[in-house]
Amino acid sequence: MTNAARPTPIAWLIAPAGLLFVLFFVLPFAVMTAMSFYSGNPVTNPNAFLTTRHYERFIFDTAGIFHEALWSTLRIGLITTVISLLIGYPLAHWMARMQSRLGHALVLMAVIAPMLTGIVVRTFAWMTILQDKGVINTTLMQWGLIEKPLPLMYNEFGTIVALVHIYVPFMVLTLTGVIGRIDERLEQAARSLGAGRLRAFVEVTLPLSLPGILAGSLLVFALSISAYVTPSLMGGTDVLTLPMLIAQQVGTSFNPNFAGALGVILLLVSLAIVVAYNRILARLAGGQGMA
Amino acid sequence: MSAAPNRRPFDVGRAAYLTLNALLLAFLLLPIAIVLVFALNPTPYISFPPVGVSLRWFEKFFGSAEFMNALWLSLWVASVVLVLSIVIGAACALALARGNLPGRAVMTAFFMSPLMVPAILTGLALFQAYLLSGIGRPVWGLIAAHTLVAVPYVIRTTLAVLHNFDRRIEEAAAVLGASPTRVFFEVTLPLIRPGVFAGGVFAFIVSFDQFPVSLFLVVPKGETLPVVLFNYMKFDLDGAIAAASMVSILLALSVVLVLERLIGLKAYVKL
Repeated sequence: MTNAARPTPIAWLIAPAGLLFVLFFVLPFAVMTAMSFYSGNPVTNPNAFLTTRHYERFIFDTAGIFHEALWSTLRIGLITTVISLLIGYPLAHWMARMQSRLGHALVLMAVIAPMLTGIVVRTFAWMTILQDKGVINTTLMQWGLIEKPLPLMYNEFGTIVALVHIYVPFMVLTLTGVIGRIDERLEQAARSLGAGRLRAFVEVTLPLSLPGILAGSLLVFALSISAYVTPSLMGGTDVLTLPMLIAQQVGTSFNPNFAGALGVILLLVSLAIVVAYNRILARLAGGQGMA
Repeated sequence: MSAAPNRRPFDVGRAAYLTLNALLLAFLLLPIAIVLVFALNPTPYISFPPVGVSLRWFEKFFGSAEFMNALWLSLWVASVVLVLSIVIGAACALALARGNLPGRAVMTAFFMSPLMVPAILTGLALFQAYLLSGIGRPVWGLIAAHTLVAVPYVIRTTLAVLHNFDRRIEEAAAVLGASPTRVFFEVTLPLIRPGVFAGGVFAFIVSFDQFPVSLFLVVPKGETLPVVLFNYMKFDLDGAIAAASMVSILLALSVVLVLERLIGLKAYVKL
């Protein structure tokens, strides 16, 4: 065979993707970072100067909204992650331990189908369920259980419910792979040694699936802190997250420089999570590639 | 491997476990089913329970110039993205798997990274770059942005197929006297086709349902369907949205079936 270190002619096929990624991915993020250190648009405005004032504006937060926005972004992300884990784990365990191949394929399809439905559509579905005249409130009122509609939407509660629904599939898919790789005989051995089913699960399967729990949680956390559609439709005036703040700066305030600084902050937070996620996955797969 | 050694007449723990999972599946699927109910319910606003069945919201959706323009733009963009990402993604996957490139793992991670970076930031960064270079917000800019986030899916499905098939098939063809070009076109390409095609279908959906990347890159009157729906939903919640949602859901469901037929859903599970 040829020298393993020398690229073959097929390596040239990477060129189109490389070009696409440099022009439309690396360069734009460099531009965004640069813009966050300018007072204005350096191309059209010759008076634009280098400054750290956008970051200072965020750090000193004289308006008193930025820290709150960052905190509610992280809080919503954290609660969404915990609930997704509680909902996703049983489903993933069920799927991983299912004997029937048809059953497995059906559950897998049921988990993936919502993923292929757009975020806007799924958020709309939750609006029809949770609003004052929605499915839950109308039903409860007809049964005479409540007098006036419960405030299920236009607050953090509604936002989290919809976010959980949107991101649970990611949790299930990450966990299923990990649980499936745990040897079922370990649990059976624990049981034949006298442990109850619950104890065998808590002391054998659960600890062994810990890396999957961590990886799935980081994934869902990273996804939910960057969500825009759901918090802005379900949150009403009650919820302001970092992505919503960014959209505001671009759309209504037209301050792309400050938006860039907010973008860099959100990027740093999510990159830290992604690095942790990849570390865990790499350890799980024993050095296997990401693909 | 063991054939359930513990079969008992009635198992409370097992029943609770299955009930819990059935409820969780219902949580995943019911909201989507409810959209269908509202798409067919004729009342002028979202109300429950439904009073009848009508197609008026589908008529409104298909009769509205705003929705139709957006639908056609979305379909057009998604189709171009499908073709571009198939070509670029498959080529990239081949280079990664067969090119003997140094730093393969790092490069693969790099080409997957649009899936890791918050999509709204990809949109923001592209918006800033287009603003600075003064090109405005052309449709090709939107297509390039969608292609960027769709290509990783094609790379992933193609790599999955490339890893699974036996390299000795290619080597056998070469030993039997086929030139490298001939091996590529007559052995490698047909073998990876299912993976490439499945990735392409996925790319289509990613583009068609794309919101965060599109948000800052569309112009008024030139908005894609998800953006139009989003703006509409901020003020109005009627059956037209439900009808539009149904159209997208039916599209997605047919895609799932096509995927399952093509290579099975397993390839998508490797997150």
